[in-house]
Amino acid sequence: MGKQEGFVLRALEERDVRFVRLWFTDVLGFLKSVAIAPAELEGAFSEGIGFDGSAIEGFARVYEADMLAKPDPSTFQILPWRGGNDGPATARMFCDIEMPDGSPSYADPRYVLKRNLSRAAEKGFTFYTHPEIEFYLFKDTPEPGVEPVPVDRSGFFDHTAQSYGSDFRREAITMLEAMGISVEFSHHEGGPGQQEIDLRYADALSTADNIMTFRTVVREVALSQGIWATFMPKPFTTHPGSGMHTHVSLFEGDRNAFFQAGAEYQLSATGRQFLAGILHHAGEITAVTNQWVNSYKRLMGGGEAPSYICWGHNNRSAMVRVPMYKPNKGQSARIELRTIDSATNPYLAFAVILAAGMKGIEEGYELPREAEDDVWSLTDRERRALGIDPLPMNLRDAIGIAENSELLAETLGEHVFDFFLRNKRAEWDEYRGQVSAFERDRMLPVL
Amino acid sequence: MSRPPASLTTRLARMGFDDVSAAREHVLRLGEPGDALLPLIAASADPDLCVRHLADLAERCREIGDERLLPALVDDEGCAMRLLSVLGASIALGDHLLRHPDHWGDLCDPAMGSTRLAAWWIRDRLVRAVGADPADPEPVASLPEREARDALRVAYRRLLLHIAARDLAHHVRVDDIAAELSDLAAGTLEAALAVARAVVGDDRSRCRLAVIAMGKCGGRELNYASDVDVIFVAEPVTEGDEQGALRVATTLASTLMRVCSDQTAEGTIWPVDAALRPEGKAGALVRTLSSHQSYYERWASTWEFQALLKARHVAGDAALGAAYVETITPLVWSAVERENFVSDVQAMRRRVIDNLPDDRANRQIKLGPGGLRDVEFAVQLLQLVHGRTDERIRLPTTLSALAELTRGGYVGREDGAALESAYMFLRGLEHRMQLYRLRRTHTVPDDRDEIWHLGRAMGFRREPAEQLEAAWRAHAREVRRLHEKLFYRPLLGAVAALPGEGARLTPDAAKQRLAALGYADPESAFRHLEALTAGVSRSAAIRRQLLPVMLGWFGDTPDPDAGLAGFRRVSEALGSTPWYLRRLRDEGETANRLARILGTSRYATDLMMRAPEAVAMLGDDDGLAPRGRRVLIEESIAAAMRKDTAEDAIGAVRAVRRRELFRTSAADLTTAVPVDRVGERLTDITDAALEGALAVAEREVARQRGRPLATRMAIVAMGRYGGAELNYGSDADVMFVHDALEGAEPEEAAGDAKAVANELRRLLAIPGTDPTLEVDADLRPEGRQGPLVRTLAAYEAYYAKWSAVWEAQALLRAEARVGDPDLCARFTALVDPLRFPAAGLSDDDVREVQRIKARVDEERLPRGADRATHLKLGRGALADIEWTVQLLQMRYAGTHPPLRTTRTLAALDAAVGAELIDAEDAADLTAAWTLVSRLRNAITQVRGKASDHLPRDGRERAAVSLLLGYGPEETDVMANDHLRATRRARAVVERVFWG
Repeated sequence: MGKQEGFVLRALEERDVRFVRLWFTDVLGFLKSVAIAPAELEGAFSEGIGFDGSAIEGFARVYEADMLAKPDPSTFQILPWRGGNDGPATARMFCDIEMPDGSPSYADPRYVLKRNLSRAAEKGFTFYTHPEIEFYLFKDTPEPGVEPVPVDRSGFFDHTAQSYGSDFRREAITMLEAMGISVEFSHHEGGPGQQEIDLRYADALSTADNIMTFRTVVREVALSQGIWATFMPKPFTTHPGSGMHTHVSLFEGDRNAFFQAGAEYQLSATGRQFLAGILHHAGEITAVTNQWVNSYKRLMGGGEAPSYICWGHNNRSAMVRVPMYKPNKGQSARIELRTIDSATNPYLAFAVILAAGMKGIEEGYELPREAEDDVWSLTDRERRALGIDPLPMNLRDAIGIAENSELLAETLGEHVFDFFLRNKRAEWDEYRGQVSAFERDRMLPVL
Repeated sequence: MSRPPASLTTRLARMGFDDVSAAREHVLRLGEPGDALLPLIAASADPDLCVRHLADLAERCREIGDERLLPALVDDEGCAMRLLSVLGASIALGDHLLRHPDHWGDLCDPAMGSTRLAAWWIRDRLVRAVGADPADPEPVASLPEREARDALRVAYRRLLLHIAARDLAHHVRVDDIAAELSDLAAGTLEAALAVARAVVGDDRSRCRLAVIAMGKCGGRELNYASDVDVIFVAEPVTEGDEQGALRVATTLASTLMRVCSDQTAEGTIWPVDAALRPEGKAGALVRTLSSHQSYYERWASTWEFQALLKARHVAGDAALGAAYVETITPLVWSAVERENFVSDVQAMRRRVIDNLPDDRANRQIKLGPGGLRDVEFAVQLLQLVHGRTDERIRLPTTLSALAELTRGGYVGREDGAALESAYMFLRGLEHRMQLYRLRRTHTVPDDRDEIWHLGRAMGFRREPAEQLEAAWRAHAREVRRLHEKLFYRPLLGAVAALPGEGARLTPDAAKQRLAALGYADPESAFRHLEALTAGVSRSAAIRRQLLPVMLGWFGDTPDPDAGLAGFRRVSEALGSTPWYLRRLRDEGETANRLARILGTSRYATDLMMRAPEAVAMLGDDDGLAPRGRRVLIEESIAAAMRKDTAEDAIGAVRAVRRRELFRTSAADLTTAVPVDRVGERLTDITDAALEGALAVAEREVARQRGRPLATRMAIVAMGRYGGAELNYGSDADVMFVHDALEGAEPEEAAGDAKAVANELRRLLAIPGTDPTLEVDADLRPEGRQGPLVRTLAAYEAYYAKWSAVWEAQALLRAEARVGDPDLCARFTALVDPLRFPAAGLSDDDVREVQRIKARVDEERLPRGADRATHLKLGRGALADIEWTVQLLQMRYAGTHPPLRTTRTLAALDAAVGAELIDAEDAADLTAAWTLVSRLRNAITQVRGKASDHLPRDGRERAAVSLLLGYGPEETDVMANDHLRATRRARAVVERVFWG
């Protein structure tokens, strides 16, 4: 048993932990949880906890249902909303999924990301991400057919006296910090009831774990206050969607590999190639970064959400933004991806972004010209003349492109690639047949 | 000063000095005594070094007014021998003497050769050196820290000089020297602690601190220059002051470490390494006893217990140290009961074998196969495995433990003795190497001069370099064979009395060890061992000699239990066969291959059980090489014709087939035959079986009818058989064709042909000891409704009238291979225009092929099978690829003759050549076809029967992935590769076949 396992077992004792929740994430990004008693944990560390993989979305192939969840002791945390300070506590750990022979499972999104991180590590790079997560708060739990009511009517950066939002954010942030997740920034977003909380820069695996935790914490806090939190990409036709703008960068040891003093926007050749890789493969990875039917309604909405494959410096209409350089902050050189939404599977999303960027570095892609104008205001023909392609218009287009992407298959692994696309196609097929309120409202009166 | 004799130069050269003119200068500097001392100087390890040191030392002594040195050396041969052997073997100690010329007098003590320094005396000297009172149970240094550090270094090295002189001049046993060095280290730690107490000041009385030595120092087997491993344990003096006490103790401990390791004007002593403590470098430097205890009770891993084997109190609070040893060390012996002990031990053992560099150029004596670590690790593992039930082997010192293990029967007597002498030699060599500069080195120098001196230091006088190399290699070789000897051989002692062995392993101890070596069912394994070694026969004796190695080889296969059980069955079947055991014993390769086959493949094991004499072919690659189609056919027919009855005759044919199946399977398992070659070999074997069976059936029918047959026959290979792509589990798809003899009645000829075909199928289907050869004729015209045999003319008429596109497609892989050669050729001529139509396919035909494929996809897949992964009918699997290739053939073979082949991959290559398919697309199809075919073969090999699914069972799955060349714990990599290959193939099929 390693040191970290030892630490965890000791902490169980000291904190009077009665239940340990083993967390893992299914292929679509839903958090799964198995609770075990502390006594079982030692076995879980050495042998893993067996479970029937076929019960988890996207895990088991037909011929192999038995899988093992093996907790990662470095992710041990006490759940602050369970038990409080003195009573018996509940803890959680993220798990890696293994096959019965100890072979890591290709179906595990966490392993997908780990695999890609170690591929980058072989080239000497570590991948850092910094997400800005947006979500909405509603007054009530959702009911079918009922338009949800936001908790407030405020707008971007509004300071509302005694609003639900600020109370909520304060409590959520306290809990996040209690779980070792640092929050960089938080504020009211553009839509009514819409919030944004930014997590601090961390390596991609920790960030992905943190995002999964974040979603749970936000939902728990909302429930405790009698309101409802949602990460749905676009809950309203008229209000902005919830994105997860993500700043990314590569480090070589202690050095930010994106930074080069004196280069244009202080962006190094590595940074430019990485960015070029993301743009080059943007269409292929969109099905993962924007995985729901609903995601594409955010992407066509304008404003903070991009519809076109291009980059710019401080250009809020571009898909990738190279932020303003702060003098003497070489370590913070980064690029910001604006497509991803809050309902993505963060493990898979980070994996495909990294893979696309690394491909750009490996192949030495040329960075296309910067988009200097507001891309929204250009005409189609202007955009074509500038070589700016649109992102997939809907889930079906995205799947079509993804299905032919060798990069995506390599990155996700065959099992996840196959399951994910089959599942998404089914989602699209189901959606296609739905008659919507829009159609009834428009057509019933006149047809 | 009188002039030395003129012959000095010559004498020096003759005595073995290297740089004669420099040596001459030094001798001259020594004056008259130099001449007298010359023989002793020349006897030292490095005479050049020795004489230079001595001349320098004499000068330094004169400088401090000490004129006694040279006269004393001339007078006292013992003293001279001690001093000169040190000066010739250690630059570091020579330099020490030059800095402290007054220390040479220590070596005058005549008792040095017979008496070792007592540990308490060493401690006293060192503690006093820092100005502390050795009588005080907690001595405190009175010298300021800087001076104390230097004084400690000088005192340490002075005592080291004493030990080195005993070592070099009096040939004290290497384990005694190691023990003295450990005592020196213990005393040094005590004195360093005294310095630390002084640094900390009055706070020191808040805690009791004990220093526990681990590793070599703990085992009292330290060498001249290594890190000293320690653990610190502390208790508060006043109840409740735990935090404060630990803080003080931590300062004490870290100061102690610094005092020993800091580089000062007097150099450094050694680094003190506390990394073996709970939680390693991340953990607290000092813990309380109960904290240690709870850590080891709950969280320590197996290797940490292994380290605890050597824990010993060496400095600081004696009562606390004793309490530590009393409390913690018993925990070592319950480690065996922990759940993952066995797998840990396995992993540790693998680490010893695998992770050590194994290149011939490697000159390490510590790491590497045959190195010191190898012996130490093996001894410790055996202690862990057996120490729980036998207290006598719980000893911290490697050599003592080895002696006890030998006495207790856990290690064979001769093996134990050989290992002991190898270990002593290697340790001695290590000592000499380190003594030279007092550096931590484990690499034997390859510089000629250095190794020459080293050889002399080791006591080799004649050709010291060569002798040293030879002795070193011999001992390393001895150690390298140690796993077999240490782990496996004593197991036999448990089940059979080995001649000349003393104590024996008890059955329980043997089972414990079998489990630790990876046998899932040690009870059965033990019974197999008993059966295999019982008796006084010569074969039992040979088996006893063989088994230790074989057990190790079985342990490396996916299923050691099956390996051992199989070995027992083969041995029982072949027990009295004289060549069998001789071959296993004399040709290591045979036994190694046998072990691998038995532990991996049920298919090959089953074949072998039915004809164990096949073991004979494992001896060399020739034995596993294919025999060739012609040879096999002739043998089959000849063997059959020697038998009278049809049943006996077919038995002979099938025996040939069984033997050749084993040859192919065994070659595949041990030398990784490419999958297309496996297909060809299996096809040749099938040809021979059918030729033999046809001959037997023809003879039998003729015999029944009492006249010669009225027709001649041929068999057309179809499907995978026609394509020479058979798998281990494949049926033989065929069509029968006959041609009436000149002037024979057509009816009579047809009756004869039908009787022969039926007889052939009956004979091959008789249940027997070999895998039956299923002869499937369903691909014939009209399928099962059609006649089993047709004349060539009937085929011609049928195809002229009825031929559908699917029949033309089936004919693509038709190859008339067996029976009348002329008829075979005519059949081929008949079908060629049908399957390779000059005009290619009409659009309607292409659509028809696609339609049939669509239906087949839907209907043929077995219920419950996974379409994504089915090896034959799944996405991008064999059927997909073969239909795609066949469609290309039907469309273009008429105009592109290279496409006219029955083989899938050959046709694909031809299609690339004719630019009918992209080279990349073809590569994707080839890769998928090859991988899937390999998977199917591997599955049959492992499970003993064919299957189109990857096995669910973990052990079988691991075996399949091992056969395909994946590492342990890579089964899901294999699954991912399979999915990737078939996905890519499917994409090509979409474009080329459906497109």
